[in-house]
Amino acid sequence: MNSLTVHFGKEITDIRRNRFFILLLGFLTLIMVISVIVSALDFRTKMADYTLYLDALVKSGSTEVPPAPPLYPLQLLRGSIEYLELLGALFAIILGYRMIAKDKGSGTTPLVFTRPHSRFSMSGAKLLATAAIWGTVVVIVFVIMVLALIGVGTAILSPQDFSRVALSGFYAWLYLTFWSALAMGLVALTKRLSTGLIAALVIWLIVVLVIPQIGDTMDPDNQVPGGLFKSLQIGKADEVAVTAHFSGFETARDQIEISSITKHYERTTFAFLGIKDLYNQQPLGDVWLALLPNTITLAAGFLAAVAFALLSTVKRTLLRKES
Amino acid sequence: MGTLITVIRYEILTAMRDRLPRTLMIVFLGMIAASSIIGWLTNQTVTAVYNQVLADGLTTAANPFSGVSPLRYMSNTVIYMILIGALLASVAGVQASLRDRKMNTADLILSRPVSTVGFLAGKLLGQGTWLAGVLLVSAVTNWISISVITGSVLDPTGGAKILLFYGIGWVFLMGFVSLGMVSGLRSTTEATALLIPILIWAVLVFVVPQLGTAAHPVSLLNPVAAPPSQGGFFQLMNNFLGPLAVGEHFKTASSFLLDTGQTASIASLSFAVIVIFALVAAAVLLATPRNTVRSALHE
Amino acid sequence: MSTIAIAARGLSRSYGTSNALKGLDLTVDQGEVFGLLGHNGAGKTTTVMLLTTLLEPTAGTATVAGFDVRSDPRSVRTKIGYLPENVRLYDNMTMLENLKFFGRLSGVVGLDTRISETLEFLEFTGHENKRLSTFSKGMRQRVGIAQAILHRPSVLFLDEPTSGLDPQGVKTLRETIVRMNTDLGMTIFMNTHLLSEVTKTCTSIGVLRNGELVYQAPLADTLATFPGEDSLEQVYLTIGSETH
Repeated sequence: MNSLTVHFGKEITDIRRNRFFILLLGFLTLIMVISVIVSALDFRTKMADYTLYLDALVKSGSTEVPPAPPLYPLQLLRGSIEYLELLGALFAIILGYRMIAKDKGSGTTPLVFTRPHSRFSMSGAKLLATAAIWGTVVVIVFVIMVLALIGVGTAILSPQDFSRVALSGFYAWLYLTFWSALAMGLVALTKRLSTGLIAALVIWLIVVLVIPQIGDTMDPDNQVPGGLFKSLQIGKADEVAVTAHFSGFETARDQIEISSITKHYERTTFAFLGIKDLYNQQPLGDVWLALLPNTITLAAGFLAAVAFALLSTVKRTLLRKES
Repeated sequence: MGTLITVIRYEILTAMRDRLPRTLMIVFLGMIAASSIIGWLTNQTVTAVYNQVLADGLTTAANPFSGVSPLRYMSNTVIYMILIGALLASVAGVQASLRDRKMNTADLILSRPVSTVGFLAGKLLGQGTWLAGVLLVSAVTNWISISVITGSVLDPTGGAKILLFYGIGWVFLMGFVSLGMVSGLRSTTEATALLIPILIWAVLVFVVPQLGTAAHPVSLLNPVAAPPSQGGFFQLMNNFLGPLAVGEHFKTASSFLLDTGQTASIASLSFAVIVIFALVAAAVLLATPRNTVRSALHE
Repeated sequence: MSTIAIAARGLSRSYGTSNALKGLDLTVDQGEVFGLLGHNGAGKTTTVMLLTTLLEPTAGTATVAGFDVRSDPRSVRTKIGYLPENVRLYDNMTMLENLKFFGRLSGVVGLDTRISETLEFLEFTGHENKRLSTFSKGMRQRVGIAQAILHRPSVLFLDEPTSGLDPQGVKTLRETIVRMNTDLGMTIFMNTHLLSEVTKTCTSIGVLRNGELVYQAPLADTLATFPGEDSLEQVYLTIGSETH
């Protein structure tokens, strides 16, 4: 058994016994499932409204039947994916923090470093454990969400839908591991544990909340409750034609949005799940190709964060005591 | 009284020197400065979009933004209060409590003729004074940037509305300071202390409004409050959980103060909810038992 | 006027089902330097917590400087000074700011003068405007003592005061304790497990064992009862460890 395996086993045991983190994961799963239920209920409400409207039309003698609101079951996952991008990232930071905080400056860390070990066995084991934990969590959460879709949303999923969900799960794993690795690196590098944690939280605040929010509020359609174009009674085709005149502004808005890794995660996942209308019901291969730049950015961010954590979590930083 | 003032004075001094809240304060003030520019840019674009729609003959409706208040340029400030301000307030509150637990000074203070309530109230008011200073700087920033954007000095009524907005904002944030202080006093580790108010914030800002409005979490980052969904379940949830959605209530109250849509009758409920939130959080803080104030911090 | 500084009668404290202190009866006269000895977990810190009003007794009572810890804790607090074990004070404040803060909480009149006098008494001037984050453990301990005696308490409680200090720091602190007793007239109640401290500074001792006071006598009597160089150690081991 090499030192990497020994460390990995210890990290997994540590996290399994951390009740607070287990509670956090339970909370995350709960709100994601609640979100699926809320979306399903909202859809049922819209269907009920549609049926009432249809009855009224029939009674008034109209023969024109408006189309029913379309149900694309995977679109019901939108809120859950958004929770993962907002709060999942936060919990990933906490996991990264815990990975380092429990060892940094502790009395037991020197005992480890006075034994034969390879340079990156500790940091490598921590990263592997983080990846394994998020892998397990993502599988559990996505399985529960699919069950909620089938149970509460009464959805029928095709084999391709399962592939789309699985791909979204993989991207969620990339995204969550990115945040944990980033937090690990920051907490390892900073002199005080809380400084590293706050630095990670500030980055989370800016990348996850502020930048997407700026992009969102710069969208002219978001300036009126219910939407600007809807309030002016303008259809989708005309909306596209009008916004084409403002490509400069839209490009600037897009540049702001893509400076956040969260947006890359959101765009890819929303495309795979058909939440974004443009990609809904499109072949998965075409969607994959269209979103390749976002995939590359997300993967590059993931690799950079992992390398950062690997290089920061070393003997020098772990043995440093808080002043 | 002398004791209370002493605690307030020193809380302000230490709050100003604490690096963690100070970092968040810089982010907050930076975003407040940027928010007017974002507001102006968006407003310009929306007007241009409307003009285009009109020129294409696609609408006869009036420009929804014609003659809007210059305070509309502040609309993003509302969301920064809910996002960054609440986080800043929570972290400042947590640090205020943890400071004495980390330094083992709670015993020194409580072995003097100081009541627990007096001590905690002093700390809360000290944090409140510091926060009021930060918000005052924000108010001046908004006032100057709006005056620059519109090309004329904002009138006293506009200035007063900005002050009122920050007044209710202060009350809103004091709720989070109290929440942070309670967490700092009751948690066993620093990470838990920091995380618990953030979790409560996430529930109040995202989960509760979603249950009442069916709005997606990210759309709740928009400064415009989400309208309730029409379904029976959502109306029921909205009736039960609506008062807990303090973030949405802050948006509604701000919308009234900044002349962006809400009427006084709708906003009055939101004002009441914000004040009650702050008072309940402060009451929970002040009811902290003496032994909890002295409890040791692990880690 | 009473000459008793501390009097405890049946003083007890439980944490759940665990009895940390069981019916402590103790008297310390004014002007004494009293050393409370005991193993780890014997109840020394709980005793100090109860006498400084930081904890409430579950049974019994005590008076400190003539005031009851249960019925009049506020008056007790005006008369005592306290230095906990491993106190750090406020790192991001200067020594002067720390002392002013604690002095004001105790309502000291003429605070600036009192701080100067105290620092001169402790021979610790010249560091007033430095932040405590730059101080060594020994320097912090002296600031801790300064804050504890700023308001000239009649009874001073010290919990393991030499913990973590180097030999020079321990020597300086011992001398300071004796001077605070003789020059400032303070009654001193000190928790320790270091026997050398007791022989060099205390006028009387008590020994706690499993929450019960099993021995109390003036130092001179103890030395007479248990003669020899290792006398206190003998007392400590024979009385304090019988059922340990």
